Amino acid sequence: MPSARFPIPQGTLDMLILQILSLEPAHGYGIAQRLEQISKSVIQINQGSLYPALHRLAQKKWLKAEWRQSETGRDAKFYALTAAGRKQLAAEKDDWARLARAVQVIFDEGGPC
Amino acid sequence: MLRPLLNWFRLRRLDNDLGRELQYHLDRRIDDLMRSGVPELAARRQARLEIGGLTQIHEEVRDVWLTRWLRDFAYDLRFSVRSFLRTPLFTATAVLSFALGIGATTAIYSLVDQVVLHALPVREPQRLVLFDWKGLTASVNAFGSYNLLSYPLCRDLQQQERFFDGVFCRAATTISLSTGGDSVPTAAEIVSGTYFPVLGVQPSIGRLFTSTDDDVPGASPVVVLSYDFWSTQFASAADVVGRKVLVNRHPMTIIGVAARGFRGIDIGEVPSLWIPAAMSADALPGFDQLLNRRVRWMQIFGRLRTDITPAEAQAGLQPWFKAMLAEDARRPEFPRITPDRQQRYLASALELTPAAQGHSPLRRRLSQPLWVLFGATGVLLALACMNVAGLFLARGSARGREIFTRLALGASRGRIGRQLLSDSILVALAGGLLGTLLAPAVMAALIAFLPREVAPNALQSSLNPRLLVFATLVSLIAGVLSGLAPAAQAGTRSLMAALTERAGGAAGGLRLRRIIVTVQIAVTVILVVGAALFGRTLFALIAKGPGFDTSNLISFGIDPVRNGYSRADADRLIQSIHREIGALPSVQSAAIVNNPLLTGGSWNIQMTIQADQRVTTDREVRINAVSPEFFTTLGARIVAGRDFVESDARPATEGGLCVAIVNEAFASRYFNGRSPLGGRVGLGTAPDTKTAVEIVGVSANISYRGVREEWEQVYFPLASCAASAGTFYVRIRGPRDAAIQSIRTIVHQADPTLPLGTFRTLDEQVSRSLTTERMLAALSAGFGALALLLSVVGLYGVVSFSVAQRTREIGLRMALGATRLATVWLLLRDALMMTTIGIAIALPTLWTLRRVVESQLYGVTPTDPTTLAAATVLLCTTTLLAALIPARRASTVNPADALRLE
Repeated sequence: MPSARFPIPQGTLDMLILQILSLEPAHGYGIAQRLEQISKSVIQINQGSLYPALHRLAQKKWLKAEWRQSETGRDAKFYALTAAGRKQLAAEKDDWARLARAVQVIFDEGGPC
Repeated sequence: MLRPLLNWFRLRRLDNDLGRELQYHLDRRIDDLMRSGVPELAARRQARLEIGGLTQIHEEVRDVWLTRWLRDFAYDLRFSVRSFLRTPLFTATAVLSFALGIGATTAIYSLVDQVVLHALPVREPQRLVLFDWKGLTASVNAFGSYNLLSYPLCRDLQQQERFFDGVFCRAATTISLSTGGDSVPTAAEIVSGTYFPVLGVQPSIGRLFTSTDDDVPGASPVVVLSYDFWSTQFASAADVVGRKVLVNRHPMTIIGVAARGFRGIDIGEVPSLWIPAAMSADALPGFDQLLNRRVRWMQIFGRLRTDITPAEAQAGLQPWFKAMLAEDARRPEFPRITPDRQQRYLASALELTPAAQGHSPLRRRLSQPLWVLFGATGVLLALACMNVAGLFLARGSARGREIFTRLALGASRGRIGRQLLSDSILVALAGGLLGTLLAPAVMAALIAFLPREVAPNALQSSLNPRLLVFATLVSLIAGVLSGLAPAAQAGTRSLMAALTERAGGAAGGLRLRRIIVTVQIAVTVILVVGAALFGRTLFALIAKGPGFDTSNLISFGIDPVRNGYSRADADRLIQSIHREIGALPSVQSAAIVNNPLLTGGSWNIQMTIQADQRVTTDREVRINAVSPEFFTTLGARIVAGRDFVESDARPATEGGLCVAIVNEAFASRYFNGRSPLGGRVGLGTAPDTKTAVEIVGVSANISYRGVREEWEQVYFPLASCAASAGTFYVRIRGPRDAAIQSIRTIVHQADPTLPLGTFRTLDEQVSRSLTTERMLAALSAGFGALALLLSVVGLYGVVSFSVAQRTREIGLRMALGATRLATVWLLLRDALMMTTIGIAIALPTLWTLRRVVESQLYGVTPTDPTTLAAATVLLCTTTLLAALIPARRASTVNPADALRLE
């Protein structure tokens, strides 16, 4: 049933991560779980690409990371949004909405078919 | 930009961290799967599959940490290291080439930096200027080294607040210092009270001088110690402030210690302590001319106001200066001089030069030789770079197929070029590291060549951050330069052509390598000629010698006035010591001289000569006062007239005569071959100068300042009442140590507290006075030899490479009937061509460079034909020998083997 799931569009993973973390700090596995739940398994994310993305966002200072005890009692690396990250998320949400609207307009009116 | 570099250094920690993070992810996933009923093994497999390749994640995250270029660079570097380890001989040659070049450059640079470039460790040194009085002929009394001015002038300049934030003056001297025990000759600096405040130097402990310490002559017996002197002589005692020391037997109180690292403003004469100018009468025994405007003995420095340039200050000062000169010329004590000279005096001007590095006769003496040396090491480094470039080109050709295969597989040319560049940079850095480790030893050797005065020389042979930065920069530049040629080579050749070439083809870089070797030969010719010229200069000076027999001749100096003697007592003491030494069985004869020989210094004055007509000397004459035994003790011939006799030394009132002995240079310059005997001379050039001194003898030329100089000299008898200080020259018999011991005993018995300087043989002094020449000769010989070695290696490499490439051609030729000789010639022709062109480039270059070295040479011209011919022959022979070895090997090729090689 691979065709039932979309591969995640290029460049949106970062935005989704920021969105999830805007609710509360989480560790990598937690973020993966949330992505799975929220997208209701419609979107397929490669769990392997999650970590490079997390580190990229941390490098850009949009996330900050710290090791602390997780719900199972083991130490896990928790990521949290920084102020810069929050601003970035707002900007990206805005961009996304504009893009989606524009695409919708084209679908509604454009095209000969 | 910085963050990736930072991450580079903590890569291991970041990797561990990521490992833990991923492990946590996996473990949680496995747990969750097992909880939902999946068996453990299957859960493990699924978790692994979901997350994908762990190594790949690591790599991707590393890309994030390090950014792309840094990671590529890291890979290049790793690749380079591996390939270097596979070819240790190549690597060692390249690294050593760089180490020699970079080590030598760093060592010389450290001296240039310390002697020439390094600004004083004071507040805003770039605002300091040095005053000089231009256009003033040396008619007034002056002692010291250069840029001499009077103390009252310094006080005048301190009033010029429109231009300066402060003005100070200083003079270097040697005092006899006792810190409780024996007196020791110690370097000191006599300074105005403004010295420390204007320089902006802070005390380590206690306080430093202020203007009040310099107000009333003789009223402030205080001294400031240097940090180094405090830590070595007083073991950094905290209670040193308030202690008394004896300066020339005068008690003075220590008031403080200067800041650490501040060593005065003359790198050649590092003072151990500072004395206020107000106390100069104590510091300079018998000197009471502090307030005399016409006694020039100090250097004056000013700190410019921030908004003033030296030119503005110089222009702005002139009106005041002119007025001051005019006023001075009207003073009653102003010397009577001709109107012409008065005119010149009034026209003289004050000049300001930037003095961020302070003032230093050592710098004057050394900066030109140092720059020449620095240039030579730069050339040496360039040679080393060329050699490495040549090596890389050869390696590049050998690796041609590897490189082109990589290109064919899609590597960009830029990427390959970068790889080659990272190769050479890596080698250069390794070489630089090795060179930097060698540098301190080279520096120590160089510093050992430099003259050492009483003062501990402040030149350091240790590495400092500036030097490390310099060495790193030089290494990087050398790496880039020597990597450029191979990298460019890789970037331009056609891929198809390269891949379809037969094995061992790749003619790549041979032409470039020929050019490199040609340039190397040209540079080598220049360096070898330089070495020959400096060597001949040194040998010519050694052969010339000081003009007298130096064997068994020793000298030492005493200065009783500095130990509190009156002039008359000092004279009596010196006379009695002289008599006793002369009577020793181990002493042949002993003489006293007012000014020591071969120290670089002399006593100079312009004179008036009365023979057939009255003339004045056109330049200063070097004069000295000597005891009657002087010429016999030194073994200097009297070529005409008579030697001094005992009665000459007596004052005129006791039947003494006013007589002088001139040297041959004086006779030939001013008497045109006529006998100077009977001529009369007088000191000074005023119209009313008395010419009361009769010339009674002519001596052979002997060295005064140094071996090199041949100058007009006049000797006066050391008047028995003027011998307050003196240098003894003693010709000894038998073993030297025994004689020195007896002399020591005599001086010690005469006055146990009298400091006795070291005994020096004249051989040693001649050798010391030739230190610069010896340094230049030794270093240029070293450079020449290294350069020769480098070009021989380069040439050998090119010829053997071309032999390897042309094996097939050679085999073919021989199969078709070429003789061995013809084969050898085929290859030698190549080498001969490079050598000839190299020499053809070098000779005109030498012609244009001749002015640079002219002043350093003696007894040989920069374009001496014999030297040039010898260097040419040397180069031709060595290069041909280097080429002959591979060429001969080529001629022994078996044609059948060569053709079968394909």
